[in-house]
Amino acid sequence: MRSAGKGLLLVIIALVAGAIYYSVEHQPRLGLDLKGGTRLTLEAVPSAAVPDITPPVMDSLHTVIEQRVNQFGVSEAIVQKAGDKRLIVEIPGVKNPEEAKRQLGQVGNLEFKKEGPDGNWQDIGLTGKDLKRARLETSQGGEWIIGFSLSRQGAERFGQLTKELAPTNGRIGIFFDNKLVSAPAVQSPILQGEGIIEGAFTREEAKTMVDVLNAGALPVDVEVIEESTVGALLGETSIRQSLLAGLVGFGLVALFMLVYYRTQGVVAVLALAIYALLSYVLFMLVGVTFTMAGIAGFILSIGMAVDANILIFERMKEELRAGRAMVKAVEVGFDRAFPSIFDSNMTTLITCALLWWLGTGAVKGFALTLAIGVAVSMFSAITVTRTILQVVMGTQAATRQQPVTFSRG
Amino acid sequence: MPDASSTLEPVTPPESSADSAPQPPVAHPDAAESLKKSGPIDIVRYRWPYALISLAMVIPALVFMGLNMAELPQHTPVKPGIDFVGGTLLEYGFSQPLKQQDAGRIAKAFSQAGIKDPIVQIQAPVLTPEGKTTGPDAVASVVSVRISRLPDEQLAAVETQLRQQQGSFQLLQKNSIGPTLAAELLKNGLLALGLAYLLIVGYLTYRFQWDFALAALVALAHDTVIVFGLFAALGYLYGVEVNSLFITAILTVVGFSVHDTIVVFDRLRENTRLLYSKKLPFAEIANISVNQTLARSINTSLTALLALLALWFLGGSTLRDFVLALIVGITVGTYSSICVASLWLTWWRSLQRSGEATTTTV
Repeated sequence: MRSAGKGLLLVIIALVAGAIYYSVEHQPRLGLDLKGGTRLTLEAVPSAAVPDITPPVMDSLHTVIEQRVNQFGVSEAIVQKAGDKRLIVEIPGVKNPEEAKRQLGQVGNLEFKKEGPDGNWQDIGLTGKDLKRARLETSQGGEWIIGFSLSRQGAERFGQLTKELAPTNGRIGIFFDNKLVSAPAVQSPILQGEGIIEGAFTREEAKTMVDVLNAGALPVDVEVIEESTVGALLGETSIRQSLLAGLVGFGLVALFMLVYYRTQGVVAVLALAIYALLSYVLFMLVGVTFTMAGIAGFILSIGMAVDANILIFERMKEELRAGRAMVKAVEVGFDRAFPSIFDSNMTTLITCALLWWLGTGAVKGFALTLAIGVAVSMFSAITVTRTILQVVMGTQAATRQQPVTFSRG
Repeated sequence: MPDASSTLEPVTPPESSADSAPQPPVAHPDAAESLKKSGPIDIVRYRWPYALISLAMVIPALVFMGLNMAELPQHTPVKPGIDFVGGTLLEYGFSQPLKQQDAGRIAKAFSQAGIKDPIVQIQAPVLTPEGKTTGPDAVASVVSVRISRLPDEQLAAVETQLRQQQGSFQLLQKNSIGPTLAAELLKNGLLALGLAYLLIVGYLTYRFQWDFALAALVALAHDTVIVFGLFAALGYLYGVEVNSLFITAILTVVGFSVHDTIVVFDRLRENTRLLYSKKLPFAEIANISVNQTLARSINTSLTALLALLALWFLGGSTLRDFVLALIVGITVGTYSSICVASLWLTWWRSLQRSGEATTTTV
């Protein structure tokens, strides 16, 4: 055995050891279809106020939505941009997806208006932007109310307004998302910038409003264009099923290789196990989120990964049949099979690239795992199988001084 | 062929088709050997039987696609799911076992709330981690409901009514897609499919020759039509709808099928070069190549199918249609790589030959 082969063997052993350590130390990131939760795709809708959805608009939308999501108190919630005008929100394990959806979609625009002489509401330029903080409180009558503090500038304007309205007991209209929530009559000037909003709220409503007010208004209208919710039970079931299918699939492929290719089959199964391990670790390193479709891609790639081995073994058989020595047969088999392996895997990679580019959600997950799987399978078939075969042959040839025979061929 | 076995030098692996200059004739030992014992496949002799098998699959496929195009409101060859037309898909787990007639009652609850044409199906139960279908959290019956998109308050009202009517249930799954996103998904899916064909033909033309690429394309079209046909039939007969994962399955099948075809063609190219001096007809060389790669083609598909069968039986219901499309596609794809692609290439080359009477070069 040549020293290059020995070096390669050491590299492979080191890789496997590292991979085992890593996979024990780290947990895979599971998709919402496996751990349960809600995914929403929000799209910014242009309006008269915001006719163009520019990157700065999206940035501030991102910030506001992220703050609102954080108020759900769910760990591992994700808000990420998708394309020019979309945000994907993932909330794992949310109990009430409808409520979450309502809260995220709410514009959250607070406006103070004053009642004009003809009963109309007049804009006075005091909005949620002038708010410092909102709090959930209860009134003396035991009703849920929202207490608020205004910024210094807001407090000044509010003071002026109340001073103006107090002599006539004029009314202030408090509008939330263009809906009149309450219209208190002003008894005396309010100069500290503190106030309350009453409106016969339920606790939920008041709490949502406080959260939305504190996170700030959305800079632009949004629409929920996609919603996907998976209950905890189904997620749990799916994990078990995918895991079982993966193990059985691997077992069946391994069994087939052992029965059909015997000695070589052992090598192929070893290569396949290394392949599965390396791919799994690579998935985690790349940051793949494991979804059902992604796992299906992985399982399929296990079935396809042996292809390179099969190509090589079939070619080796032919070389052996043609009377070549074993060592030579291995080399020629590998060399001859390589163009086929490369060309054929390229087409799979082409389709994966397209799916990744044009697909969403589950499709992207499937494409990514299949592509990584195919790439790793080329490495494992060409490097790992070859090295192991050389080692096996090297030791056998040394002890027996004769070529290894294969049971079939 | 005595000169064959005496050549023991390793033959350099074939490179890209760019260098198509005739190489010194170095006979490949097993190619020569295979000439003596013919393999189980004979694309020259059984040309018509192979073509008939394909037609027996392609014609019904086209018929069902035609039927759908005539009868479906969207005039599509397969029944589009919510991914492509928008809508909401709900899956409820009821704690009490339901009978088929309950589907009608559930549908009625939805239509009474003003929801047009709800589609309700009762499916197999989901087992709890302990493998039970009874108990407080257990699901004895799974009901799937397909409706148009509607406001949450309206849905909540129907759910309350359902609880009174059929007992308690939990939401297993909900998918809701708006019309603009659906149109985009459809557009992107078709774009991906079209680009996949173009890129694969381009890649094959670059690595081989354009008529190889064309023959591979015929095989791909063959596979695509058959998988589409299967889902056209399932949609026509059982109302099965296709979603984004269906397009993914088609693309994967396309990738896999051309993967198989390439292995056969690669061997064909190599053999054409090696057997140059033998003045063998192209069809003979094609036949040899197909038989030499037969074991590999079948074994590779078998391993992929084994993995997929495990998914089909054990992987749960969510991906079952997707896996079915892959199983059928990969099976048909293997057949087409063996019996369709090389058949067309041989037929095409023989047409050319009779026209120009040139020698075979690849």
